[in-house]
Amino acid sequence: MAEMEVKESSKKGPGVKKGKKHSTRVDLTPMVDLGFLLITFFIFTTTVQQPTAMNLNMPKDTKDPNLDMKVKNSGSLTLMLGKGNVIYYYYGDDPTKMQTTGYKAVRQIILDKKKSTPAADLFIIIKPDKDATYKNAVDILDEMDINDIGKYAMVDPTPDEYSLIQKTEQAGGVK
Amino acid sequence: MARAKIKRGSTSVDMTPMCDVAFLLLTFIILAAQFKPQEAVNVTPPSSVSNKVAPEKDFLNVTISKDNKVYLNMDPKIKGDVLDELGKERNMSFSAQDKKNFENADFIAVPFSQLKQFLALTPEQVKSSIPSLPGIPVDSSNNELTAWISAAINARMGEQLNFLIKGDDAVKYPKFKAVIDAFKANDQYKYNLVTNSKQVPEGSELYKKNLMEQRSGKKE
Repeated sequence: MAEMEVKESSKKGPGVKKGKKHSTRVDLTPMVDLGFLLITFFIFTTTVQQPTAMNLNMPKDTKDPNLDMKVKNSGSLTLMLGKGNVIYYYYGDDPTKMQTTGYKAVRQIILDKKKSTPAADLFIIIKPDKDATYKNAVDILDEMDINDIGKYAMVDPTPDEYSLIQKTEQAGGVK
Repeated sequence: MARAKIKRGSTSVDMTPMCDVAFLLLTFIILAAQFKPQEAVNVTPPSSVSNKVAPEKDFLNVTISKDNKVYLNMDPKIKGDVLDELGKERNMSFSAQDKKNFENADFIAVPFSQLKQFLALTPEQVKSSIPSLPGIPVDSSNNELTAWISAAINARMGEQLNFLIKGDDAVKYPKFKAVIDAFKANDQYKYNLVTNSKQVPEGSELYKKNLMEQRSGKKE
């Protein structure tokens, strides 16, 4: 294909110098290399950027308090998402005993709780307050996935809890 | 005895066909690749370990931008039906031109009162006015997103509709909750949150679970 046939001409006399014939064949190996390099590059770059979706199922709002799910105090962990990427957490039902943590350290807290409670009792309550961001909520839902927590709920903090968070924030100087 | 002559083959292989194949593939991949369309509203979604690909068909997408404004767009296929349904539900009449504009619009970012003016804008005008667009109201007193969602559900007449919610990292939680409330008002409880994928952290519970599933899958 890349070659051209060159016919030998024998018409020239004996004293005539033959012109040196260059081969018209080109080495295509580097071009093949380049081609495959580009293919590899395109394949890698195109598949990486694909938006994924996280499933979120919310429960139906019930007006009837009898239908509310009962959670054992011993098995519940409440995570309240506050301003400035801070998490306030407490065990059981006493918000005054809440402690502060961040998004990196929260995994260990969840894991410790998971280990120390029977699987059937474990329930994590997520309460993003007014100052939390959407990223905070997604991060914590993701954390539930990562730590394989079966039962969790996302609800609003009670006014008491909210004022408690605000007091802590004011005391801690979180803006 | 005449020795059998060993024919010396050339070690150089003709690379031409291989070159052809390589470039053919290259051309194919480049042409077949779907380039990411220029998005009207710039949103940086948070990342999650979910590896489910966001649905691209029959979707209704609610985008919440950095400045807490709500934008709505949907599968172009269902747009016509949705506008008809919305007109019926809200007692609004839309001309053929309005409908055409709606089908061409990338997104809706205004309350119903300004919908017609918004639809009359050219794409360039829309682009330049993005910072001043009010967004769809989602307050508890006036949640127009509810009406849009109900129109979309009724227009689909019970057929599957995927609800995508795409929020920026910086969106405040109450805005997200207001959007969720709009869906809840229509008895819709399943959503897909659009995220960037990230690797499952090594050694975590999910990582172990995935590993177990892989192993048991191989045994079968």
